Amino acid sequence: MAIEDRAAPISSGAGNLWFAAPAMLLFGTFVLWPLGASVYYAFTFWDGFSAPRWAGFANFARGLTDITYLMSYVHVVLYILATLVFEVSFGLVMAVLLNSDRPGFALMRGMFFSPVVLSMSAGGVLWTFVLDYRTGLLNSVLKALGLGDWAQPWMSQPETALLFICLVSGWKYAGFYMVIFFAALRRIPKNIYEAARLDGANALHQFFHVTLPMLRQNILVCVLLAVMGGFAGFDLFFTMSNGQPFGATEVPATWIIKQAFDQDQIGYGVALTVILTVVVSLISIVYIRLSERANVTRY
Amino acid sequence: MQAFKFSLAATAVALMLSTTAAMAQTEVRFTHSFTGGASRVALDTIIAGFEAANPDIKIKEIVFDDDQYSNQGLITQLKSNEVPDIFFEWAGLRVQRNVEAGYAYDLSEAMATDGWKESFSPSVWTDGAGTMVDGKPYMVPLSFDLTNTIWYNKTIFAEHNLTPPKTWDEFVALAKTLADAGETPIVEGNNEFWPLGNWAGHIAAMVVPPDEYVAAFKQEGPFNTSAFEKALELLVQLHDVGAFNKDMQALGADPAMATFFQEGAVMHPIGSWLVSETENLAEEGFEYSQFNTPVIDPAHPLANSVIGTITGLMVHKNSAHPDEAIKFLKYLTSQESQIAWAESGQMSPVAGVSEKAKLDEQTQAMLALMSGAPAIVPPPDTTYPVPVAEAFYQAAAYAAAGEKSAKEALVWLDETVTAMGKQ
Repeated sequence: MAIEDRAAPISSGAGNLWFAAPAMLLFGTFVLWPLGASVYYAFTFWDGFSAPRWAGFANFARGLTDITYLMSYVHVVLYILATLVFEVSFGLVMAVLLNSDRPGFALMRGMFFSPVVLSMSAGGVLWTFVLDYRTGLLNSVLKALGLGDWAQPWMSQPETALLFICLVSGWKYAGFYMVIFFAALRRIPKNIYEAARLDGANALHQFFHVTLPMLRQNILVCVLLAVMGGFAGFDLFFTMSNGQPFGATEVPATWIIKQAFDQDQIGYGVALTVILTVVVSLISIVYIRLSERANVTRY
Repeated sequence: MQAFKFSLAATAVALMLSTTAAMAQTEVRFTHSFTGGASRVALDTIIAGFEAANPDIKIKEIVFDDDQYSNQGLITQLKSNEVPDIFFEWAGLRVQRNVEAGYAYDLSEAMATDGWKESFSPSVWTDGAGTMVDGKPYMVPLSFDLTNTIWYNKTIFAEHNLTPPKTWDEFVALAKTLADAGETPIVEGNNEFWPLGNWAGHIAAMVVPPDEYVAAFKQEGPFNTSAFEKALELLVQLHDVGAFNKDMQALGADPAMATFFQEGAVMHPIGSWLVSETENLAEEGFEYSQFNTPVIDPAHPLANSVIGTITGLMVHKNSAHPDEAIKFLKYLTSQESQIAWAESGQMSPVAGVSEKAKLDEQTQAMLALMSGAPAIVPPPDTTYPVPVAEAFYQAAAYAAAGEKSAKEALVWLDETVTAMGKQ
């Protein structure tokens, strides 16, 4: 078919913009406008009630010297590292161990996945009952076993509160990563494992030299999900500790909520949010660039 | 067939009539934080009575948990397109803020009619009461709140031959006796900082010279002074004798109250609202009473003060139905309604109600405490900038938990207040 025989385009040039207009309008109204307004409020002193007063960069300067805010990034990094262990790595191990069609394995996968369907807030509240100092299940079991001295106010101690949040997060999300890895494992051709076995590879060798390389893309995606999810973490921290004790479990989101709403400093809270957005965006860009570079097929 | 047609027509007429009645009904939106307890029951009963007497008005309650209400719930509603006609507030800075932001309806005219203003105790209209701005009433007082008093388990006190202490030293000794006996002397649910913070604010007000106290909270002077250090040292003293529950910083205010009622601790410093929760949380026969924070420095002008405030209701300036809202508020603050309100464990601000109502022992004792106090100290977070008050509360928590010395906590406090700039 000759080029000139093709149907003429409906519109060309600037006329095409009319087709994009509805989407642009929605995007502008619900994304760009609130974003722009937020950035504006970050440069103001505003309590949410009275009229905003121009603050220049004062909120940002304060944020960059706010020890609790800066420490919240340390906590979130520790949390993310823990999620890589308790969620991604553990999910991977469970996916490999439960990758079988034998009877009962599907049920076990289902059970392991079940906490994922529970809301994070409900899970957090549930675990606060388990970890309660006076009436919690954990301390009750310790006392029943004659280990009453080991009973601790787990969520009131800076050295244990964050650890338990990480463990609960692992309980909640390891099943999610297991499902991702399980689906990927099922796509690895069996003949690769057969060839490895013929070459004398044992189970451990097969895991490190076949399974892991074949899951590389999935691992990169899971790590990205864990990192982004970590920075967005709020509900579990809010329900289990709300930043306590003394900021030991404070993450950027909980601190921002406190500043903006509990303490009526919405301008400052928005400035902290802008800083958080910049930090997360930079990390995402760097990570995506690095992972893209790592996945380029070289000839 | 004829009967069927008749019943169909009758149903249609009934439906039309009920629809018309519903359409004619004015809905007054009323937002508050009374989620449960005897006071909520009393409030619902009063509302039902009002609706029965005024079938053309429907009161729609929009209820939030206390913390959620004060943090996000109220502000979101005040700024929305569909504002509440009536909203609950704490007297003081918050009333002033609502007036300045244009959310408060001037009640001068309404108060001047039917002797409404005069029906309240005169003390609610004094300058320091926080119900008026520029001499105009903006809040309808609903309750006197004793912000903090020390509730104690009478049975456990009796078991250890203890009586309410008169001085701070006696109080510390009493806490030590209980701790040595294996009891948890004081339960505090401080994961939001305000429960201990309010009490610490009162302790500081009883120790720090008043001018110095006000200057610090207004960011016109430092917190790191010898007087404030002495105030926080008192909390350190309590910590050192093992007075506080170990999970203080993880425990919420409500679970702490439940712990007290379940005999998990002997004393619980919190406000007058504990009384209305007794029915829900305490076992039958649970015996308790309260005493004010003991005298610390007899020479201090506020040595025998109590900490308290007024809570009440405001009408939104943009209310769609201000007349109906005021009509309801007049009903709510009538003698008859207020007697029911007071009998639910609230301290009514309406004159003469306390004498007529059958008050329980606790409410009577609190009324006696408040009326006998030479001064009422307002809680810092309703009087001074909230970020400053919150920072003070956290410094107090540091001291009480033994995380920082009194001096270190005050150094941290001054640094924090300086960093936040003038509020």
